[in-house]
Amino acid sequence: MQKKTCLGRIVLIVSLLANLTGYAQMPCRATLTGQILDQTTREPLTGATVFVRETKTGAVADTAGYFRLERICPGSYTLDYQFVGYKSLTQPIVVGPDSLLTLPPTLLMPDNQLLQEVIVTEHRSEAQQLLQVQSSLSGVALAATRGQSLGESLKNITGLYSIQTGPTISKPVIHGLYSNRIITLNNGIRQEDQQWGTEHAPEIDQFLASLITVIKGAASIRYGSDAIGGVILVEPKAMPTKPGIGGDVNVVGATNGGMGVVSGMIEGGFSRKLTGLSWRVQGTLKRSGYVKTPNYYLDNTSYHENNFSGDLHYDHKQWNAEVFYSQFDARIGLFTGAQVGSLADLYAAISRPEPILKPGFSYNLDRPYQAIRHNLLKLRAAYRTGRGSTITATVAQQQNSRREYDLLSFSRLTNPELYLKLVTSTADLVWEHRSVKNAAGSIWSGSAGFNGITQGNVRQFLFLIPNFRNYGGGVFAIERYASDRWTLEGGLRLDYRWLRAYFLDETTNQPYNTTRHWQNTNGSLGAAYQLRPDLSLTANISTAWRAPNVADLYSNGLHQSAVAYERGNPNLQPEQAYNGNLVLAYAGKRLSGEIGLYNNRIDNYIYLKPDSVPIVRQRGAFPAYSYTQVLATFRGMDASLTYKLTNRLSMTSNNSLLYARNQTDDDFLVFVPPNRSDNRLRYELGQTGKLSNLYVQVSGLYVSRQNRVPPVTQQQENGQLIFQGDFAPPPPAYFLLGAELGFTAPVAGHTLSVILTGTNLANVAYRDYLNRFRYYADEPGRNLSLKLRLPFGTNQQ
Amino acid sequence: MNTMKKSLLLLLPAALLLGRCNKDEQNVAPTGDNEAITTATLTLTSQTTPVQTVTATVENLNASADFSKATLLLRPNTTYTGTITLLDKTKTPTLDVSAAVKKEANEHLFVYTPAPASLLTVISTDVDTNPAPGPFPLGLATQIRTAAAGTGTLRVVLRHQPDVKNGTPTPGSSDLDITFPVVVQ
Repeated sequence: MQKKTCLGRIVLIVSLLANLTGYAQMPCRATLTGQILDQTTREPLTGATVFVRETKTGAVADTAGYFRLERICPGSYTLDYQFVGYKSLTQPIVVGPDSLLTLPPTLLMPDNQLLQEVIVTEHRSEAQQLLQVQSSLSGVALAATRGQSLGESLKNITGLYSIQTGPTISKPVIHGLYSNRIITLNNGIRQEDQQWGTEHAPEIDQFLASLITVIKGAASIRYGSDAIGGVILVEPKAMPTKPGIGGDVNVVGATNGGMGVVSGMIEGGFSRKLTGLSWRVQGTLKRSGYVKTPNYYLDNTSYHENNFSGDLHYDHKQWNAEVFYSQFDARIGLFTGAQVGSLADLYAAISRPEPILKPGFSYNLDRPYQAIRHNLLKLRAAYRTGRGSTITATVAQQQNSRREYDLLSFSRLTNPELYLKLVTSTADLVWEHRSVKNAAGSIWSGSAGFNGITQGNVRQFLFLIPNFRNYGGGVFAIERYASDRWTLEGGLRLDYRWLRAYFLDETTNQPYNTTRHWQNTNGSLGAAYQLRPDLSLTANISTAWRAPNVADLYSNGLHQSAVAYERGNPNLQPEQAYNGNLVLAYAGKRLSGEIGLYNNRIDNYIYLKPDSVPIVRQRGAFPAYSYTQVLATFRGMDASLTYKLTNRLSMTSNNSLLYARNQTDDDFLVFVPPNRSDNRLRYELGQTGKLSNLYVQVSGLYVSRQNRVPPVTQQQENGQLIFQGDFAPPPPAYFLLGAELGFTAPVAGHTLSVILTGTNLANVAYRDYLNRFRYYADEPGRNLSLKLRLPFGTNQQ
Repeated sequence: MNTMKKSLLLLLPAALLLGRCNKDEQNVAPTGDNEAITTATLTLTSQTTPVQTVTATVENLNASADFSKATLLLRPNTTYTGTITLLDKTKTPTLDVSAAVKKEANEHLFVYTPAPASLLTVISTDVDTNPAPGPFPLGLATQIRTAAAGTGTLRVVLRHQPDVKNGTPTPGSSDLDITFPVVVQ
């Protein structure tokens, strides 16, 4: 009954809001409507802009590609259509005395040089079916991050940060939340890779992505429980639709760490009898050696990555089907200077301004290291009914195996210290109903579906988390109503989760298990209002939940790398989040940008609370922590503004502010990203000789000191001083200078893209609060990287 | 509805293929620590007649160590020959850690720290085979001399110093860090 009333309420509110939306047409003034589509795929180009030169007004295409220009006087006009990654189009039109003029769909052609704009665009896509705050990385902005890990490349988006474990491991943080509180969708599949660990980064080949979208804020309704912080969608390029063979080769080289990356992709479509069948194979090889800080090399920070993937796609009439397989394999060296056996070691390391061992450069990758392999097999089939509804069924299986090696011990056992194998099977069924348009021009669209998941985890050697089996299921429905200037959206989801953990009683040698299960209902409501053609306001309220994971519940042991003894709490309750967002977006001719405010209230927020009594083991006394629940709030602002000083020179400022608090204890929370401001000045030279799309950019990143941290307390135990709260104060603020140069040039009939990036150009020695190795060493120094991309083939434009 | 059925039919074989039952997680492997030390015994033999032998043993170092029964009762102004024995009883057969450390002498160092410093003097009497500027002390065997009567502690730290051993405690990380109560009377 509860569910019914809740749904009823949503319908009521939506219909009430809908009634408010009708507004009178101005007499004697024409309304111009149109639609902007991709030329080949005919997909709507959400966020594409149309600009009327004569009136200096414009509009942005909505989720279905439609735009609307109002109060146009009769006369002749010139329309400029633009979209990131597409060739601009100019169209002359004549507006007569009619009050409504509907233009035929405008088709934009993809611009394969893809080197035109600052491409950290904010847009909403129908495919994602959500009226939620989103940012994405594609085109040049994504190309400029090639060679970096997923976590590092996402730092270009406002509101995103990363938790690092030295230079080799980077884990994304959205609005201060990370690990199991964000979901990563790799090619549509929920990535499951022991993401609870702060030193476990997402195991995804960054080169697979042609678009990375981040939903900032709770997005449980569509993507399932856990997404209380947000969702990262890693989406590959669409499969080729034309016959012929094509592909591209990416080469990246970087001075710091002597990094070299080669990534290649080859794809093709068949003709004649096999029309509709297309394929793609892709692979990446990455090698990197010791990373250098301004003053010394970091021992053993080498990195190896070998990935490949294959995709087979078949389109036939109303059907399409896909088989996708990928393997990610990485060997990640860990900085030996951060290997501490005891608290005494840690304090000694903190008090040293530099690590003891300062080797020369090397590509050696020795213990300690992590060896990880992630396999994904995905099968997907979709059926489109004659009336425009789509049903998509997806099943996938992932296997993640993780081996963590410490320095070789006196026992000379070559086993890893930790082995975890997680096998995850998921099944999803999604029905998108056809868009229903009524006479007044309003559109109803929506989807409903089911997500199922089961996981089995096997551990060996040290105990960090137990073996477990879980099952989860959820049903959801999202409905959207778009009319005139309003877009409204409501969603509802029911979830069930079951978890059984298996243990071994070490004294009796008898296995035993514990089972827990949870269920939850969540909803979301959103509204967007187009205040002016160039100004929109979006508000969103959503709830989300996260069942405690095995680490929260059952971890029990010394976390060597964290120098802490961590105790799980088997009685934890699910976290419940209430998330509100407000975004004002402006897209003017010179000034454009977005200001977003958010408030995420999390009841039963799970965190590690320091115990008052340290624990004594063979390596001495360790601070002990237990998983505890409090009421936490994460409030902040993301502001991103671009101003075109001239047609060629533009300024961009991306700012992220975050204020997080433990309300229960009236205290701050640890590991909260500090405020930061990223500012860029970009000059577009356009065509210069043989070079096209030439641009230069300088940037300055300022990260403030995190002053909002819990107080550090100290006590004497066994003759040792034990600190609680943190081991060292947060590092000072820092400023990094960067520069970038990019262009395209014709090479043997193909278009070569070149991007040269410099980071930390002033070679500043600094430390970052969110780097877990900040106690031991500085961050990397100056780095110059060169990225080359050469597309080839018969079906490439 | 028909299309819904079609899709479900399509989903079924695939789901069966992927979701095949696997009960691996029900076979729980015991916890294994490559670097576990469960037992430390410090044996001191006086270089006097009659010979006094003092032993202090701490068990369950990897779980719940109890140092209260590991007090060293020594005579004042006496010289003792000391040896330390380390065992890992979680392995079958029991691993003699001190023997393993002896084998890997070039990357290990025992550091003995009395408190107050005037209570005892500890000198390592064995060395490793590190090339020059080595060899460096190891510390499995020691000579311990007591001063005047008093009480305090003796802290024993085993440093693991792969490729960085230089004779000082600073480099590397600790494999063992225990403190024995000492009574000199």
